[in-house]
Amino acid sequence: MSREARIMMLHYITGLVIIVAGAIHLATVFLVSPYEESLRFDNTPWSVINVYRNSLLAGSLEALLLAVAFHGFNGLRVILLELHQGRTWTRAVNVAVTVAAIAVVINGTKTIFIASML
Amino acid sequence: MSVRNPVVTALKTWLIPRRYGVMRWSYSLQRISGVAITLYFVLHIGETANVIGGSQVWSIPSYEYARQVWTETVEFLSNPFFDAGLAVLAFLIFFHTSNGVRLFLTHFGILLGKPHRPEYPYHPASMTKAQLTIFWVSILLAVAALLYSLNIFFKVILP
Repeated sequence: MSREARIMMLHYITGLVIIVAGAIHLATVFLVSPYEESLRFDNTPWSVINVYRNSLLAGSLEALLLAVAFHGFNGLRVILLELHQGRTWTRAVNVAVTVAAIAVVINGTKTIFIASML
Repeated sequence: MSVRNPVVTALKTWLIPRRYGVMRWSYSLQRISGVAITLYFVLHIGETANVIGGSQVWSIPSYEYARQVWTETVEFLSNPFFDAGLAVLAFLIFFHTSNGVRLFLTHFGILLGKPHRPEYPYHPASMTKAQLTIFWVSILLAVAALLYSLNIFFKVILP
């Protein structure tokens, strides 16, 4: 498999991960308790802090973060590489998209990590 | 003859899906929703950083500080404009996911028609009934998600 084919395969795998982890995320916010209660910081069973303190839910949020960061930024990369072609452009897009994805993952992971210890 | 900017031409082909059939709509919607969801995702990670007091926090803050910043964030975000935006996002996310399942199957050759000799009126073999059905089911799911979230945010349909 070429590099681009491997990336596309990962695009589909992360898509499947997002279906599962995204369903868990939407369920914890909308289905298992009223939306207003899910948004509270604490004092409700499915409040923000209780979700982060549950290691299974926090783990699935981390999986969702990694999968969406890859899937979303790879999607942007594909669109940008389709709009214009060239070696410099390809390298610039690849670097920019990778840096942005890593920045978002670091920020999100930090939130999950610190919130679980609050 | 005017020389067209290829980037403009490319953008036109994906932003204006008219006259090319239902699969062009699928293509355009998949891309527009993908870009919109990615943009929301980046903002959402910034927004949820307020659970720990904000993006600039790198150590464990005091519980009360984090609680206060998050409560203020929720108050700031609970207005009709953001809620309407979330309802549109619900439409886009459910369409992108369901239509994405169709693309996943297509990528591995499932639900694709058999190749045949091109004959008038040149219906593409790949555009099977199953493909079209999943596209319209995606639209239905997206509309259902839109109505569900409108009901959550504005209580317009059910009490």
